[in-house]
Amino acid sequence: MIQKKVCMVGVFATGKTSLVQRFVHSLFSTKYHSTVGVKIDRKQVQVGTEQVNLLLWDIEGRTADQEIPESYLKGAHAVFYVADGTRRETIDQLFSLRDHVRSAAGDVPSIVALNKHDLKDQWIVTPADTAKLITGGFHALTTSAKSGEGVEDAFRWLATATLTAPPTPTVQPPVRHGN
Amino acid sequence: MPDDGAPLTESAGGTRDVAEVSVHELTELRDLLFGAERRQLDELRRRLDTAELTPEELAEKLPQAIVQRSARDRQLGIALAPTVENAIRESVRRNPREMATAIFPVLGPAIRKAIAETMSGLVNTINRAIEHSLSPQGIRWRIESWRTGVPFAQIVMRHALVYRVEQVLLVHAETGLLLAHVPDGSLGDADLVSSMLTAIGDFVNDSFEPKKTGELRAFAAGDLTVLVETGPRANIAAVVRGTPPDSLPAKLQSTIETIHLEWCDPLTAFNGDAAAFTTTRPLLEDCVETVLATDTRAKSAGLRRFAWVIPVLLLLAGGLAWRTARANRQWSAALARLDTEPGIAVIRSERSDGKWRITGMRDPLAVNPSVLMASRGVDTNEVVAHWEPYVSTEPALLLARARHVLAPPGGITLSLKGDTLVASGRAPAFWIIRADGLAPALAGVGAVDLSHVTPGLPAIMEPIAAEIESQRTLFAAGSDALDQRAVSSIATVAAKLRELVKAADANRYDLTIQVVGRADPTGTEKDNLALSRRRAAVVRDRLVSLGINASRLSIDASGSGDPIPADASAERARLNRSASFTIRAQPSLNANVAERQR
Repeated sequence: MIQKKVCMVGVFATGKTSLVQRFVHSLFSTKYHSTVGVKIDRKQVQVGTEQVNLLLWDIEGRTADQEIPESYLKGAHAVFYVADGTRRETIDQLFSLRDHVRSAAGDVPSIVALNKHDLKDQWIVTPADTAKLITGGFHALTTSAKSGEGVEDAFRWLATATLTAPPTPTVQPPVRHGN
Repeated sequence: MPDDGAPLTESAGGTRDVAEVSVHELTELRDLLFGAERRQLDELRRRLDTAELTPEELAEKLPQAIVQRSARDRQLGIALAPTVENAIRESVRRNPREMATAIFPVLGPAIRKAIAETMSGLVNTINRAIEHSLSPQGIRWRIESWRTGVPFAQIVMRHALVYRVEQVLLVHAETGLLLAHVPDGSLGDADLVSSMLTAIGDFVNDSFEPKKTGELRAFAAGDLTVLVETGPRANIAAVVRGTPPDSLPAKLQSTIETIHLEWCDPLTAFNGDAAAFTTTRPLLEDCVETVLATDTRAKSAGLRRFAWVIPVLLLLAGGLAWRTARANRQWSAALARLDTEPGIAVIRSERSDGKWRITGMRDPLAVNPSVLMASRGVDTNEVVAHWEPYVSTEPALLLARARHVLAPPGGITLSLKGDTLVASGRAPAFWIIRADGLAPALAGVGAVDLSHVTPGLPAIMEPIAAEIESQRTLFAAGSDALDQRAVSSIATVAAKLRELVKAADANRYDLTIQVVGRADPTGTEKDNLALSRRRAAVVRDRLVSLGINASRLSIDASGSGDPIPADASAERARLNRSASFTIRAQPSLNANVAERQR
């Protein structure tokens, strides 16, 4: 059995938590978000003969000018970005978000879930946007918390990517201060 | 320097001295200008030629190199380990004494510590067992267990639990992924807890000590405490129910240090596969423990430490009870014995003030009661006795009193027939007269029979007679032949007889000697009688041949009917294959009256 740490990040109110809620094993309640700022769930994915346990660090959605704590990101084997397909700014902010994540977790496999695909009439994502994401190093797919569309695919892609990706460059252990 | 060389060569054609001086000066000049550089060049060339460290250089650099490399990583240790192990093994094989001497100072304290810990564990176990089974608390818990139907062990846990390390998790520091945890299967979501613990740790760090990377060491919820000890690559977390002791963090710290040492490579290379860390489980299991109040409760720890005293006291009490019972038994036996003892009558006995008290009557001639009690194992210091004197008429006491009052000479035996005191043997006439007068006055004595007493001899004759009568001429079994010793014993008797006859003549006593033959009980009495008669005759004949007047000698045959007493049957048989001598003497008829009057 292989365990992998996957960080789920997204701008505030992209429906990140409800997107995966039906598909993961939860031990902790969502109130951890408002206290600790992260809630951890498990998703088991079978890749070939290997069972992969994805430990999903569902990190509290922040507003654009708030940074995600680096300590939550360190050591992540993959990053699960969630954007709201009905709000352009959530897509635009993905790139700055990614830069921040990269500085903490390194260049690890990344997927973008363009969420709320069920809201067809408000959907604003164009093929150009998708192409921009892909050239930016993201694997992109559309999802819906309501219908469950794309969620299992997203996890399967993440699990496979963590197994095949070269090992994450080792991040040096934190230097102890004040000792 | 070809430019310099050309003119030199030309001038060499001139005088030789000038040329030599020039070469010399030139060399000097060269040294002055380029000396330092040349030497450096030579040194560089030499180093390039050898291209490896000389032992001197290595010796110079080695200590520093070791220090630097050791500070950087563990490779030096890993590389040296097999060599060091081999060296130690070889050293021990060649000369074990050296190694034993070297590690002796370490070994002693280590062994002592191990023994002390084992003993302290043992004492704790005994204390706990005793406390749980004997204390009022233990009994209360048993009643509670019986009343509620909850197993006793659980009741004890509920009341006495100080702390229990329920879970130990080994967590990858960077990712928060679970590396290992114990006990197995106890925490289904250990991986989630592991990650969440890391997240909470991170949250605390970020929130309260930004940029300082202090670590979250412990947090509590209800009676659960989570202790975390961090390392550079992995953290260890212990979930503790109750109040963890101060020693637990140190234990966790040493465990995480060991894991960093032993699993350095898997920790560095960790990429999600925790298989390599299943071997850390024994180390983690060492941290799982349950401690009950009886181990550590400070309030009465001093008393509890001495709980072992209880069984010791019980043992002592048991021993005391046993001793008392034994003393009682001995006392009863001694009392019973005293009661049967002639001349002692116990009236009352009791135990008071730690002493045996006894009251009774005692004939002054009876045995000493203290001696008798002591011989029965009674401590006479514990006895307070009060004896009233009285006169006992029991036969044994009667005889004792008769002996005391009459003081019979050695040849006299006293016995009782009913209330008649019978004396037999030979005694001086004056004793016969005194006994005749005194004996009837003795309490309990009805009559005196002196008919078996033969009048004794004058003082000068008595010892000679006694000596002759003590003589035995011994024979071999079934034989009446005289051997060497028999002959010599008869010669002694003959010499004494001549002496006695002379004394008898001087004292005007008539003297006869009876030779009494005896036989051992083997065979028929008829044969024995005949044999004993032959033995007596042989001895008599021998005495005659030694000059004893035959008219003084008579013989008697006892067979085996009147044996000489002896304790052992073999000795009795030997003594009775014999002939003995009885002296009969009485004053000559004309002197008889005078003697009696004297």
